[in-house]
Amino acid sequence: MTDTVSGSAGPAGPAGPAGSPDMQDVPVPERPGAVERLRRALPALGSLQSYIGLVLVIAVGVGTKGAVFWNQTNLTNAITAFASRGILAVGVTLVILTAGIDLSVGSIMGIGSMTAAMLLVHHGLSPILIVPACAAVGAGFGLLNGIGTTWLRIQSFVMTLAMLSVVRGIDRQVSDNVAVGVQLIGPDGHPTRQAAAFAKLGTPGHQLVSGSWLPLFGRAGVGYPLIAFFAVCVVFQLILSRTRFGRHIYAVGGNPVAARLSGVNVTLVVIAVFTLSGMLAGFAGPIDAAYSASADPLAGTGYELDAIAAAVIGGTSLAGGKGSITGTAVGALILTLLDNVLGLNAVSDNLQLIIKGLIVVVAVVLQRPGFLKDAVEPLTRRIRARRG
Amino acid sequence: MFSPGKSTFSPRRTATALLAAVVVAAMSACASTAPKSSGSSGSSAAGSGKTFVIGYSQSNNAEPYRAQLNLQLAYYVKKYPDLKLLPITDAHQDSATQVSQVQNFVQQKVDVLIVSPNEPAPLTAAVQQACDAHIPVIILDRSVNTDCYTAFIGGDNYTIGKLAGQAAVAALPSGGNVAELQGILSDQPQIDRDKGFRDAIAGHDITIVYHQEAKWLKANATTIMQQWLSQGTKIDLVYGENDDMSLGAILAAQGANKADQIKFLGIDGLAIPTGGIRAVQQGSMLTTFIYPTGAEQAAATAEAIAHGQSVNKKQTLQTTQITKDNADAVYKQYDMTTKS
Amino acid sequence: MRPDQDDDRKTDGEAGAAVQAADSSPPLLRMRDIAKQFPGVRALNGVDLTVHAGEVVALLGENGAGKSTLMNILAGVHADYEGEIEIDGEPVRIHSPKQAAHHGITMIHQELNLVPELSIADNVFLGRELRTRRGTLDRKAMNRRTTELLAELGLALAPHRLVRECRIAERQLVEVAKALGGRLKVLVMDEPTSALAAAEVERLFAVIRSLAQRGVGVVYISHRLEELEEIADSVTVLRDGSYVGSRDVGAVERDELVALMVGRPLDNLFPRAQEQRSDGAVRLEVSGLSFTPSAAHSGTALHDLTFSVRAGEIVGLAGLMGAGRSEVLESLYGAKGPVKGTITLDGRPYIPRSPRQAIRRGLALVAEDRKSQSLILENTVRFNTTLAALNRFLRPWRTVNRRAERAVAAEQNAALGTKAASVETVVRTLSGGNQQKVVLAKCLLTKPTLLLVDEPTRGIDVGAKAEIHGLLDRLAGDGAAVLAVSSELPELLGICDRVLVLCEGRITGEFHRDPQHGPVAAQEAILSAAMARRAVLSPSPPLVGSVHD
Repeated sequence: MTDTVSGSAGPAGPAGPAGSPDMQDVPVPERPGAVERLRRALPALGSLQSYIGLVLVIAVGVGTKGAVFWNQTNLTNAITAFASRGILAVGVTLVILTAGIDLSVGSIMGIGSMTAAMLLVHHGLSPILIVPACAAVGAGFGLLNGIGTTWLRIQSFVMTLAMLSVVRGIDRQVSDNVAVGVQLIGPDGHPTRQAAAFAKLGTPGHQLVSGSWLPLFGRAGVGYPLIAFFAVCVVFQLILSRTRFGRHIYAVGGNPVAARLSGVNVTLVVIAVFTLSGMLAGFAGPIDAAYSASADPLAGTGYELDAIAAAVIGGTSLAGGKGSITGTAVGALILTLLDNVLGLNAVSDNLQLIIKGLIVVVAVVLQRPGFLKDAVEPLTRRIRARRG
Repeated sequence: MFSPGKSTFSPRRTATALLAAVVVAAMSACASTAPKSSGSSGSSAAGSGKTFVIGYSQSNNAEPYRAQLNLQLAYYVKKYPDLKLLPITDAHQDSATQVSQVQNFVQQKVDVLIVSPNEPAPLTAAVQQACDAHIPVIILDRSVNTDCYTAFIGGDNYTIGKLAGQAAVAALPSGGNVAELQGILSDQPQIDRDKGFRDAIAGHDITIVYHQEAKWLKANATTIMQQWLSQGTKIDLVYGENDDMSLGAILAAQGANKADQIKFLGIDGLAIPTGGIRAVQQGSMLTTFIYPTGAEQAAATAEAIAHGQSVNKKQTLQTTQITKDNADAVYKQYDMTTKS
Repeated sequence: MRPDQDDDRKTDGEAGAAVQAADSSPPLLRMRDIAKQFPGVRALNGVDLTVHAGEVVALLGENGAGKSTLMNILAGVHADYEGEIEIDGEPVRIHSPKQAAHHGITMIHQELNLVPELSIADNVFLGRELRTRRGTLDRKAMNRRTTELLAELGLALAPHRLVRECRIAERQLVEVAKALGGRLKVLVMDEPTSALAAAEVERLFAVIRSLAQRGVGVVYISHRLEELEEIADSVTVLRDGSYVGSRDVGAVERDELVALMVGRPLDNLFPRAQEQRSDGAVRLEVSGLSFTPSAAHSGTALHDLTFSVRAGEIVGLAGLMGAGRSEVLESLYGAKGPVKGTITLDGRPYIPRSPRQAIRRGLALVAEDRKSQSLILENTVRFNTTLAALNRFLRPWRTVNRRAERAVAAEQNAALGTKAASVETVVRTLSGGNQQKVVLAKCLLTKPTLLLVDEPTRGIDVGAKAEIHGLLDRLAGDGAAVLAVSSELPELLGICDRVLVLCEGRITGEFHRDPQHGPVAAQEAILSAAMARRAVLSPSPPLVGSVHD
């Protein structure tokens, strides 16, 4: 049970009105029942409303396209296409939890993508070296964001907006505005060894774990983007919910003054989350380069908005202190499956934009604290009254 | 948000910072960026001694096509010793920015103004202003809504689309299914390439079973192609209105092990490693069509204008179809990395 | 029976004209049979309240008794309620704050409703801005009127000063000015004096009396019984959401009121420790402490303070608002950046650098404003309780041992008597007293040897107040040293072994519980020392004020 208060505030409690001197005020020490444990664990798994949204999207998909939607290939393709943005969303969630915002993740991913391609093309490095290098590059820019936000006291919106521009400029300058391809063909007409290894990072059709290992996933197997995305989600959710650092993140977002007075090093926490956000953005770069088989100097443009949307739909509050990675993962799933359903149904792009925007608004409204209760309360009251 | 301490509110400091920001913004708006395109070598012109200044307003350096255009223009202008190319301005796809950049060139009284308009309507007035200032204007690639220019140099997207359609017909002699990946629906090139293609395949046994807007982007095309492939309807040929989209579709098809069963058409034909010509060389793409940059013609026209010669008002550029036969040669011909 | 203290603050005559409802005109305000249901709890049940014109009615009850809910209904914050409200005999339904204002009802909340980024004048006229003939804001008129209103309250603040730069006490008076600026039939004040020092309280009472003479009805919510005796005409008591009864102030005794509130008589408000425990080892020794406010750290300057606190002692810090009391605590805690002076803890030198370091050295701070400085409101009791002491629950691989944490948090809160459904309750939903207990729990988990408390019982009901006093007493008895800031003189007199008085950043007096140790603490003496502005004293304080006998 984490401290992710994802919207529904604890009720005054069934223990009776406060103030009565005879009320037993010691919390129940024995193990709570299964239902109670499930109810307590729910906030850790993301808000209830976002799960409902996910089910709805899946229902629409199955309803309109049946097996064409609900099959392993299609679902894997859809999530893989969104994987880099999903990883960005995780990083952005950490920043938003501290009541900041990171608008530069798209650009940092872009430069990560370009770095990956260049390391491959000009130095022939293997993915095992490329991925950490790109993560480090991203972490460097994230660190700058963190320093600017804390020491220079620049608001994170402004700082990361500036970084968005600066990093994009560096990206284009370094690449001279030309895309760098990664499908290097050797003299024998086949892809070089390094290029083949790089393709495993996410070029469509190149799986990391083949189907024979995991019959669960059918013949096609599982690709690196999918594995990376889910691994990132699991690792960072554990960090948020189980470590002291995670607690400090929630504290800084909830009330930075109180956090500081409670002994939290607020400056360090903020710098850390921006660095992590940049690191994850850099980490996602090679995935993007592999997926497009080239690194485009404009890669990642606009991705930050998708990342923020995923976090918000998943229950993260822009005011800070509320949210979880699992919620963001669900939000990312909602967005990607929505993309997929709309695409399969050949809905025009303009309509897709409108729908996506509306979904974000609806998701935020639905996740206002007590919204469900306020909606359901009059009904239950009437039912109770009728029952006498 | 993170600073628990209070800070004093100093109006004067804020005003100074604001002023500095405004000055910096104004300066950067005036500054222009250009990748590598320096002006031609020195002003020592043999003979007349006068150097003619050319200003070129580009709509969006970020597009690979336009990046190539810039490189080619610089290269061809250098062949004329009495022409000097100012740093090419980049409007980042924003018409308002481009208008002010064009106006800047007018202020600088360039001898020849070349414009690749981002959109026709917003740039019409700016071009008109240049015209009123008696500056000869060359419109490159996209049109404006006024006749007051000296020369229009551009490709004919409709014809290219038609040629693509004819290639499709030739590739599918017994008919077949075509999937079309479209650029931004409101772009004129998209409209023309789409219409040309459909006109060419009319009357033949070819059906467009899928068409979707992929906004000229490779990654979008990959995702869309994956969705099409999962739907079950057989696809015989993919027509991407630009090379990037076709290449994206190729990736998706390769991933699904269906690339051998499908033919791919593209348009653009850039001589870059991630371009269509290379793909045709490697055999993944069937054919592509060069969308000519017109840089060579623009440079020649500018020289002619500078020397007071008359030029054709409308110069339509020819395209070249790239097939496996001529891919190698064409790539070498247009490869800018070997030229400087 | 009046308490044993010389209460010369009392003005002549009962507060306000005791307007009896002898005439046939209906009461100004009558609330009848009011009930309010929240999800899961019935906050009010059959509550009555009557206020006559010119009457000051005190509303009394423990926290959680329903006072705030009742007044929120009156102020239009809760649209759906059961029961009737009549104003001047006319039945009305109040569905929104705007409607409440229309009926002339103004409420000053305990949590102030001011916009920090706007000026005082802007806040006073929020929603009622004066306009010139041209339609623009008439700043001059608003500033002028604001200055007048503030002057009535004895505040000489510039009307264009930002509220953000005012201390809590000043902000409260701005709230009062704001209420006075509009149409007023019934004024509700919720704990208005909790952040005011004695002199300001007097001034506020004078204003209330003048309002009452003008025919305004005042509902006064406070826990300070001695204030109610002075200012109110009648008292209405609530308990657990129900109406218990009403009494005339002159006809009821304090103990009876307390008994009505809690349902049982409390033996005493403060634990009576007869002897002064000032013979333990010196825990905190401060010499020449000076603090200069800067852009990063604002506040009152401190000049060359020298004092000590011994283990087992509770030392109080008294003074007017702005005297620098909170600054002393915050400087010691490392929250105010570098300070000058020599400080030792248990004989070892201590340089305050950050709260983190202070906690490690054994200090703990209960800050003045718990909501904005001590609690993460949107999170749970458990989260808040363990936040400063997470190291105790770390497993070898650096994750938090959730089960141990929950158990310890539950245990600590149970020991303090925190009334919450469970440790997973969100702190925002708790009453003020219980929130303060969570803050204390957080401090105690770090096992402090020096406890710094700033207004520990502000806005807390009588029962919880006594509990917290008992707790501080127990902590001192166990060997901790306590340095307590408080604006409630009876509280200081009740629990402290010694009282230091600050005025404008200097120590102007030191008083003791036991006359053998030095001048005895008494309300007048403390107050005089608090106002001894220009007197800079040597470490041995002179005998200021009368010696109590």
